[in-house]
Amino acid sequence: MTIEQFLEALKVKLIETLNLEDVSPEEIKVDDQLVGGEIGIDSIDVLELVMMIEKDYAVKISNQDLGKKVFSTLRTLAEYIYKESPEFQN
Amino acid sequence: MGFITSLSKNAEQTIRSIESGKSGFKPLGLFPWPESQVPLAGEVSIPNDTAYPRTHLLASLAIDEMTHFAGLQPDAIVVGVTTGGMSRTESLLADQNSDNRSYQFHSPATIAEMLARRFSCTGPVITVSTACSSGAVAIKVALELLASQMADTVLTGGVDGLCRLTYYGFDALQLIDPMGARPFDKHRRGMTLSDGAAFLLLTREKEFEKRQAAAKILGAGLACDAYHATSPHPEGDGAFRSMTEALNDAGADPLQVDYINTHGTGTVDNDLSEARAIRRLFGKHVPPFSSIKGATGHSLAAAGAIEAAISGLCVSKGLILPNVGFSTPDDDIGIIPESVARKKKLNIVLSNSFGFGGNNASVVIGSPDLKISSSIKKKKAWDLEIVGAACLTGAGGLTETIDTLTHSGYCGGMLSDRDVCRRLPFRDIRRLKRLSRMALSLADSALSSMTGDHAPRSLILGTGWGGLSETYDFLSALLQLDSSNRYHSPIDFIGSVHNAPAGQVAIRYGIQGANITTVGGDASFEQALLTARLLTATPDRMVMVMGLDEYHHVLSPRLDRSIAGNENPADGGGALCIVPRAAGSKGVFIDIPAFYFSAGGDEHKMDRLVNDLGGRDRICSRYEIVFVGLNETDNRQCYRLDQFRRISEFQGEICEYRPFTGRFASASAVMTALAAHFVRQGKIPHGMRCARNAPLVHRGVLILGLGDYISAIEIMPGQG
Repeated sequence: MTIEQFLEALKVKLIETLNLEDVSPEEIKVDDQLVGGEIGIDSIDVLELVMMIEKDYAVKISNQDLGKKVFSTLRTLAEYIYKESPEFQN
Repeated sequence: MGFITSLSKNAEQTIRSIESGKSGFKPLGLFPWPESQVPLAGEVSIPNDTAYPRTHLLASLAIDEMTHFAGLQPDAIVVGVTTGGMSRTESLLADQNSDNRSYQFHSPATIAEMLARRFSCTGPVITVSTACSSGAVAIKVALELLASQMADTVLTGGVDGLCRLTYYGFDALQLIDPMGARPFDKHRRGMTLSDGAAFLLLTREKEFEKRQAAAKILGAGLACDAYHATSPHPEGDGAFRSMTEALNDAGADPLQVDYINTHGTGTVDNDLSEARAIRRLFGKHVPPFSSIKGATGHSLAAAGAIEAAISGLCVSKGLILPNVGFSTPDDDIGIIPESVARKKKLNIVLSNSFGFGGNNASVVIGSPDLKISSSIKKKKAWDLEIVGAACLTGAGGLTETIDTLTHSGYCGGMLSDRDVCRRLPFRDIRRLKRLSRMALSLADSALSSMTGDHAPRSLILGTGWGGLSETYDFLSALLQLDSSNRYHSPIDFIGSVHNAPAGQVAIRYGIQGANITTVGGDASFEQALLTARLLTATPDRMVMVMGLDEYHHVLSPRLDRSIAGNENPADGGGALCIVPRAAGSKGVFIDIPAFYFSAGGDEHKMDRLVNDLGGRDRICSRYEIVFVGLNETDNRQCYRLDQFRRISEFQGEICEYRPFTGRFASASAVMTALAAHFVRQGKIPHGMRCARNAPLVHRGVLILGLGDYISAIEIMPGQG
């Protein structure tokens, strides 16, 4: 899977995990601010995503400073998971 | 008073340890941790007991410490608890135990009930569950019981034992500091969870003079942020208001405060918002302050009671305690806690406790020789008028329920999620499950039904079992019970807390006054109504009282023995908007003339009920119909009903309502909302009456509960 493909998959995952039924994947702009942006994601959603990412991609983001950088945009999040997850290591 | 903390089972020893800067933290050993670096916890080492779960044992140990009061018999008991028998429930679920008797101690209410049996207390018994402020909220309710003259002595306090739900829950919220809690420190990263329990015996001043009291509780204040489910208001708005209310209640001025025992959990957000609230209230005159949670840890519902007790000891010893764990000042916080113990004459100490849902409580403790006009004096009781009512049943809202009652009778069952959420914006409920969604729907309907121009100031909500969907989903992931919940969700943890629905309602409708959740099985709503009654000592303020429960296919049959053998799942609830009665109003009135715990044998219980209701003649002339919520599995209730009928000589119709509303803990809240409608309309739907169809003119309705708690709610028409 390329990073671009993963970005698309992650949008779907985001909607499913956060129960954002009224948002379509196309509406999520990958370079927009993720937290506090238009789709209404807040700090609790971030914690929910942290748990999902740990379970589904075996990537742990427990440090809040690191979290701030990683959850900056959907692209930064995808890139971090893509780099760290055993799922994407050849 | 008697208390137990991670530092010691003995109060004096706990104080000495904090004075010397010790903490009671050790690596968590109570249950397994998935990673090699095990975080710290404040565990109390207690003997293994197969009879009672951990929280119950902690409560008993703290009570045993109250040696001064051997032989005490309190008139009333108010306890703050969040976890109840959760530690036991977790093990039972992991073992796939389906015997519902094994789960008998699950409810947070079982601690107060255990104590009521131990002390043969046959007065009001109330359990409040408002997360980390529970212990302090319990003290506030106890003070109001004394002020209302309903009790001369009240046993109050808080208790919580460590369990997986709370430990893994706070961990998922990244609120646990792996280094141990460092309140107000620049490098703080969170709290340290701990076991704890504290109980205080409160008496009114006259009684109090006869005893050797350590300190006086001068007053307490409650306020809700109505801001966020877990994060405190960034400027500490609710904390500011709870401290202000507490000082007003105590008749004290901020300048008189000699010391603040802060909530100070050690989380980044809590300490910052609390410091901002303190700076706002005290300006340039911030008194010495410290948090003891760097020493004891945070024992959730117990914390408020432990800290009120410790504040009392500080007053009696003239002692300021150090903020264990603090070393580096934080510029954002801008004030510096006490770092070493020191002696100082303390006349007034303020103790803060804040919790999830923005539930803030502050307690004012004073020296026994202090002469100020404190809150424990008689307050005027207001007659209460119902200005709005709503219910939710298997049939739908109030209109659909009345329609169903008129045509077919049974309106129990479970309303579909789509119908529950019909009027709620999707964005507001995407993170909520059934109970919180029902709460918002009920609040919305109750407020829309209101007559007159009122805004709710306080919210009191009773629930027998809390958010079962979130509780189950969180535990099922943690204990790997089923594969549909892949990870333990922080959002589920937030929703699993008993006061989550009340917090959501407060946020949505900006209800910034007291926000209390009461828990007590089938009498949860009655506890809420009594609590609301106690807190409406101030006119022009509307309180919303709710009772609701959800049915959960796995947990409900195991936990709720009152629905055992019932094959028709049902849930729902009722909500009332209540205001102090305006002069000359012709509205519908509500009162709870009887509410007490039924400890001991059955002798005289119904005599007392009839007496509380004003005797035979009054009962027969006042009520057109008596509704009773019988639990079929409890033979005592049918016996008591027969006795009530015999002693009261009530000739009118006595109707069992659960066959109409469905069987669940808060069915009495549905019945109360319906009764308010019946009395307003002056008639009862055909389907619900088997006898003559007399109109309800000039007469009212009585709703009885005859289980572990004996209760009577009356709904009366105004004169006119």
